[in-house]
Amino acid sequence: MPRPDRRENDQIRALHSILGLLNRVDGSAQFSAGSTSVYCGVYGPVDVKVYDEKLDRAVIEVKFRPAAGVSGTKDRWVESAVRGTFEREILAQMHPRTLIQINIQAREDDGSADAAAINATTMALVDAGVPLRDMVAAASCAVLADGAAVVDPTLEEAAAAQSVHTFAFAGSDIGRAGSGGASGSTSPVYVDSRGDFSVADYDRCYDLCLRSAQRVLAFMRTAIEGKIAKESQISVV
Amino acid sequence: MAETKVVLPGDIIDTSLDSDEEESSVLRLGPGVAQIDEQVSAVAAGVLHSDNEKKQWWVVSNKRRYVPAEGEPVVGVVVARHGEGYRVDIGSAQGALLPLLAFEGATKRNKPNLAVGTVVYARVAVANSVMDPEIECYNSHTGKSEGYGELAGGFMFKCSLGLARRLIDSKAPVLNALGSGIPFEVAVGLNGRVWINTEAPATTVLIANAIKNSEFLDAKQCRQMVKELLEKQ
Repeated sequence: MPRPDRRENDQIRALHSILGLLNRVDGSAQFSAGSTSVYCGVYGPVDVKVYDEKLDRAVIEVKFRPAAGVSGTKDRWVESAVRGTFEREILAQMHPRTLIQINIQAREDDGSADAAAINATTMALVDAGVPLRDMVAAASCAVLADGAAVVDPTLEEAAAAQSVHTFAFAGSDIGRAGSGGASGSTSPVYVDSRGDFSVADYDRCYDLCLRSAQRVLAFMRTAIEGKIAKESQISVV
Repeated sequence: MAETKVVLPGDIIDTSLDSDEEESSVLRLGPGVAQIDEQVSAVAAGVLHSDNEKKQWWVVSNKRRYVPAEGEPVVGVVVARHGEGYRVDIGSAQGALLPLLAFEGATKRNKPNLAVGTVVYARVAVANSVMDPEIECYNSHTGKSEGYGELAGGFMFKCSLGLARRLIDSKAPVLNALGSGIPFEVAVGLNGRVWINTEAPATTVLIANAIKNSEFLDAKQCRQMVKELLEKQ
């Protein structure tokens, strides 16, 4: 069965990103996959309230705002997903007694917004120069009623799906998987699975998401390298 | 630098040396580079630099949030006065402490009295991640001010840390081009703050705009831009 937007089952939507588009934050990025689009702005390391202060590391705070309406429980879930993912990757012990604030604003949600939020956050953190152990790339996958697994589902596809899975992987794990290692050797940094599914479905989605995350990571790499190359060329002259 | 190698967080840096004295060698890891588990890897995105003689590696990246480092000149604003010193905003996570006596020739009887809102040019004296930064308006070895101190009058604006680093170079094309056309005073802080002072407000605006515009211009474009601005004046 063809997909509504005529994509192949393992084809992600066209990616687009802008780095450093916000003026007043320390680092920012826009990440879009098709019509799903997310802004992320990062402040950090900044002063933290004494109440929240951690003596041995930075506090990481995540705010997610939906494209329309007030934020609710679903958005809290995205916040906790992003925070859980990046608490592992940010080298928080390098900036004790500070705050790293991640603000995410969905611009348009056409499915897979949580994966887009994670990808946008990676790019904004890199733009802000926050010390990171590794880059993180995320992708979603849905198992449809007819049993087909499709990556990067749109809102319409996700609503009709049996189950929806989102995986995020660390860059070095993706690299290792790409260089011929068995896919079982990589461990995702974030997994979110909803709906009814079998272990076989899960494994299928895992492999598809890993391959999609590879493409997303390569895309982010190109975007960031392009910006740095442009800047460094000027400073060399 | 012959080649520019761009690294991203998580990239493993090959620190193997050509020489045989590897066992005794100590690696020096600068900003943007850290030891993660068993390997040396980049933790910030930027251009990798290395000095094989001194076994140093560091990443030059452009940021907007200042993290203090010892010895760096900064431009700050006095935000409060305490018994032991001034609290100065230098753009870092915590405000910096400027002791009352950290000025040239200051004694208990005779010391400068700075009002809240005063702009100061200072040098970072203490900077580590677990303590609040400390700054001083003189060189504590010689006791001379060496250009540090209160910046009276003038105008302060912010820019990216990468631009500030380029401006502090005495060969900075935009400052040299401006300087050959109009007289002005400038103090560049590595915390991404620039203070300028000129005779007329119109000149201040011109210089501030020229410096801000130079962020993405090379030397030739800088000279061209300054020339056009001066002609318009």
